[in-house]
Amino acid sequence: MDDHEGKKILVIQTHGVDTPTRTYSPLYYAVAAAAMEMEVMVWFTMNGTNQLKKGEAEKVELVKGSGVTLKSMLEMAMDNEVELRVCQQSLTLWDMTPDDLIDGVGILGATSIIDLALDYDHVMYF
Amino acid sequence: MAHEKINECVVFTNLYYSVGDNTWVRVNDDDTVTIGMTDVAQSLAGPILHAKAKKVGVARKKGRPIATVESGKWVGPVKSPVTGEIVAVNEILVGDAQVVNRSPYNDGWIVKMKPENMEGDLAELLTGDAAVEAYRAKIENDGVTCTHIEGTDEYLI
Repeated sequence: MDDHEGKKILVIQTHGVDTPTRTYSPLYYAVAAAAMEMEVMVWFTMNGTNQLKKGEAEKVELVKGSGVTLKSMLEMAMDNEVELRVCQQSLTLWDMTPDDLIDGVGILGATSIIDLALDYDHVMYF
Repeated sequence: MAHEKINECVVFTNLYYSVGDNTWVRVNDDDTVTIGMTDVAQSLAGPILHAKAKKVGVARKKGRPIATVESGKWVGPVKSPVTGEIVAVNEILVGDAQVVNRSPYNDGWIVKMKPENMEGDLAELLTGDAAVEAYRAKIENDGVTCTHIEGTDEYLI
C-alpha cells in the first residue's frame, strides 16, 4: 500500500449528541489519518454542530463503562493537530453563538466548505 | 534485567526513554536501536487491534511517526525517539498486534532504526534512575495503573 503522508483529508460530520453511535468513528478516522501524517480537518455541520456546545460532549459516553466520552475524542483529535471547524450557519440551528463553542473550534462560512472540498485530496462525509 | 515497578508499570533501567512520548530505545551491537512502546503506553491504549509500522528504508526525524497504533478506544502515532532510517519492522505486529500488550519490551518491539547521531539522540533521552524517577512522577501525576492482558510476559505481572 502506498504511503499517503502529506495528503489532506476533509471529514464532514453531520451527526451529533442526539445520535451518539454516529459520532465516534468520524473522529477516530480523523485521528488515525493525523497519526499517519496527513493534514486533517473535521467540518461540523447540521446536527454535528451540537456536540461542540460547551458541556454537551462530556455527557456522551461512547461505550458504557469505557470512560471514553465524545469530549475525550474531540480532545484526542485536537491533541493530534486535527483542525475542528464548524459551519457558521449551523450554529443558529441549535441556538448557539460563538461563545457557546468549546475552545479550539474555528468558524467558517458555507463558501469555505466548497473551497475546502475542492482543495483537499479526499472528503469523507458522515 | 533490573527493573522497577510503579503502580504495576514496569520500567527497565537499562533502556532509554522518551517519557513524553512513552517510547523506549534499546541500543544494539550493530549501531542500530530497537524501539517500542512502554508498559505505560500499552496500558493507556488498552488491547491493541492494529499496529502499522512504516516501511523499511523510510527516513524519520525524531518526533515523527514510525507507526500507527489502534485500540478500541485510542488511536495514535508511535513517535520516533531518534532521527534515522528504519532498518527493520516487527512483522509479528501484522497478524498479532496484541503482542505489544503482552510483551512491550521484547516480542512487541515496533521497529529497528539506524540513528544518524546515536550519541546525540541518546543524550536527550532518560535512562537508569533518572528514567525511573521521571516515570514515577508521570505515573503518579497522571494517575496511571498499568494493566496486563492474559499471556503477558511473567516479569511484567
